[in-house]
Amino acid sequence: MKSWISFLIPEDEYKEKKMLYFFSEGAILLFLFLITMIICNKYFDLNLDMVLMFCIAVFLIYVFGRYILSGIEYTDIATEQAYKKELKVICIKTINFVVIFMLLYFIFTGLPSNQMEWIEILGLLLSLSFLWFFTSFISLKRSYMKNKELL
Amino acid sequence: MKNNVKITRMKASITQEQLAKRIGVTRQTIGLIEKGEYNPSLHLCVAIAKELNKTLDDLFWEVDDS
Repeated sequence: MKSWISFLIPEDEYKEKKMLYFFSEGAILLFLFLITMIICNKYFDLNLDMVLMFCIAVFLIYVFGRYILSGIEYTDIATEQAYKKELKVICIKTINFVVIFMLLYFIFTGLPSNQMEWIEILGLLLSLSFLWFFTSFISLKRSYMKNKELL
Repeated sequence: MKNNVKITRMKASITQEQLAKRIGVTRQTIGLIEKGEYNPSLHLCVAIAKELNKTLDDLFWEVDDS
């Protein structure tokens, strides 16, 4: 069965079914959130920008969170050796992300001119790289635990 | 759904990874089917049966729980 959303859906049958569930659940949550916001808007003066940002966040955090926790990302990691190897790959990818982010930042916006700007950019970079590593680590751990039981 | 996929695969000396590659799914999916935690589509059932040279009845029909 083909749809315009097919490019977002994995080839594997089980993963495909799971992802469709996550997207559907996310869409229903988003719908309920929007209804709630319409009701709240009658009684409170809501900031439109904030509400729109929350809408995107609700959908993305839900779908991404479910994907991470479901353990379907690393489907072939079932042994401790493979787990450790993949963990190293995640570390290397995180370091690459930090380096590329810093380089692109310096190229397009130049070097930070004062201490405050340095703190801001380093804080942002550390937060993003921590989030990257942490989500990948949880996903790997969940996948490993799930796959180990299926051997 | 209980089934005979695991025992048939092992008798054929095929690993989960090999079977998964041959029918174009992930190893995790094969593991879940073998454990009865995922009910595959008819299309996938047929692909597994063909790869293991068995009929759908042999693999998926009325498996004795005992």
